[in-house]
Amino acid sequence: MTSEQIAPGQWRLSFTRPEAGFLINALARLGKHYQEDVARMPPMLRAYWEGTISLDEVEDMEESREVLAEARAELRSERLTLVENWMREFELAEERNPWKVEISSAERDEFIAMLNDRRMLLALELGIAEADMEADPREIADEARRASILEIDVLGHFILVMLGRQIHRP
Amino acid sequence: MWQVESMRGAKMLTPRRRGIEVAVAGPATVVRFLSVARRATATFAAKPGTETSPDIDVEEKLKKAFERGWSVLVWNDPVNLMDYVVYVFKTVLKMNEKDASRHMWEVHQQGKSVVARETREKSEMIVHRLRGFGLNATLEQA
Repeated sequence: MTSEQIAPGQWRLSFTRPEAGFLINALARLGKHYQEDVARMPPMLRAYWEGTISLDEVEDMEESREVLAEARAELRSERLTLVENWMREFELAEERNPWKVEISSAERDEFIAMLNDRRMLLALELGIAEADMEADPREIADEARRASILEIDVLGHFILVMLGRQIHRP
Repeated sequence: MWQVESMRGAKMLTPRRRGIEVAVAGPATVVRFLSVARRATATFAAKPGTETSPDIDVEEKLKKAFERGWSVLVWNDPVNLMDYVVYVFKTVLKMNEKDASRHMWEVHQQGKSVVARETREKSEMIVHRLRGFGLNATLEQA
């Protein structure tokens, strides 16, 4: 994957065929997740989508909690539309090797946040901890867990490519 | 490429408190708040035998609304990338590179960092936005 700025506020992303396939597969699963009923999700995922406004017991917090839950529900709906747009763009693409997409900075920000959603959801689903993230995925025996960690890593790589960043140390 | 109007700006992540829109502090906010306060005063006044002092109530509400006594905390998690966290701090909190990196390291090493101290409404808005980017953010009374 590559990411280049082609004009102020305008970006071109380019994916090889395998990268595009990987991305579309991840987006398809993410889109399905966005459509699921939060009330029926496992507790960890439900907590992620309902959100926690504060760990303290403070005055009038109930309304704030409701507002956050509503905003989170709306966010899922907005991101579902975004996923569908990406899927449609891929379906309509004449050239898929590489698959090139031009997006604005705002769209890029949303895309990055959406990919991060998928990473977070995978981690929550399987209870992935710090040690799992530091382990060599090839040494993880459980196949589903290994696949999820690899997906988290690859999507993380896509994010870093778009950010064009290296680790910063103080 | 494509346009998703409703995704533009901070609209989708702006908390909407029922009855009071105080997402952005400024003169318009004061007018809106006073308008709500006046309605509340009228309601109290209309109830015979009510002992609540509306003036004190309104003053307290106004004072609370403008107090920057709320901290936004970001908590460590095993999945969010360090560079991603820096990027989110820069995007949402308009931090410079140095401050964003410093807060990211604080989250990473100490488990949490206070990234903003604002009014309650603004703190809630920041929590919504940070959560929209997948960061574990909460608010607490400073």
